[in-house]
Amino acid sequence: MAYGRFIMDNFISINLHNEIIRVLNKMNKNTIIYIALLLLTTFTFLLGQKQNFTFIFTILVLITTFIKGQLIIDYFMELKNVDLKYRLFLSIWLVLVISLIGLFYFLPST
Amino acid sequence: MQKIIKKYPPGDFGIWIIIYIELITFGALFLGYAYSRRLDVELFNKSQLLLEQNFGFINTILLITSSYFIVKAIEIIKKDEKTNTFFVASNYIFGAISLGVVFLFLKIFEFVGKYQEGINLSTNKFFMFYFLLTMFHFLHVLLGVIILFNLYKKTKIGGYTKSNLMGLETGASYWHMVDLLWIILFPLIYIMK
Repeated sequence: MAYGRFIMDNFISINLHNEIIRVLNKMNKNTIIYIALLLLTTFTFLLGQKQNFTFIFTILVLITTFIKGQLIIDYFMELKNVDLKYRLFLSIWLVLVISLIGLFYFLPST
Repeated sequence: MQKIIKKYPPGDFGIWIIIYIELITFGALFLGYAYSRRLDVELFNKSQLLLEQNFGFINTILLITSSYFIVKAIEIIKKDEKTNTFFVASNYIFGAISLGVVFLFLKIFEFVGKYQEGINLSTNKFFMFYFLLTMFHFLHVLLGVIILFNLYKKTKIGGYTKSNLMGLETGASYWHMVDLLWIILFPLIYIMK
């Protein structure tokens, strides 16, 4: 990084890195969000295919769901640049619902 | 460049009251499901295996893509750079409607399939929640498709412009809410064990 190089250049070639940046710059923000939502959904679906669905998978699904929900709230619903209280209501709802779902999943069953 | 913070969310404020109420209602149902699951985890896990995860996945992709098309329609009208702005925007809305209709047909196919297997609302607690949540959501998608159709008709004739987007944004906000609810419903009912 001292030589102005991106840290990921240690893992991917600089040409590939530049190509990725070029493609991302051409795409608009909403398209990037859409692709992110597709990838996160696919990730959740693939986790669901696993036979032994562990505690870690549940955490990953909950985190993924939160990220997807927040992306929709911020970008599709366009609340990112709106008075905080309108965005906060939905974000708090999302955090509460996901946290409580997680809590009920991890509490010992009766 | 200073970020401009808007005073109100997009669309008519009335739809946001409806959105907040719907989110609270569905939130309570989601939590009801998660809590009830604790009382018989084995039953819920076994019953969940009878669901088709592939359908849930496809339906999630359909709704996300549909929401994206609505975002694109609004984006195009806001930019208003092309001579065929309304034509392109209305095509995106039509695309969103089509995907919504496919979602509805897939859900009907799923419901009929379950019914033919002898599974219904009173089979067990899991399926009570499954049918309650997904049918309630189905009705919201159906209403959303009707709303989008009206938006499509008006967009096609240039009824929405850069300075007059309120109706379109109102309908769009409702549709994104429907998508947001499914984003949680799909992993909760179909995936998490």
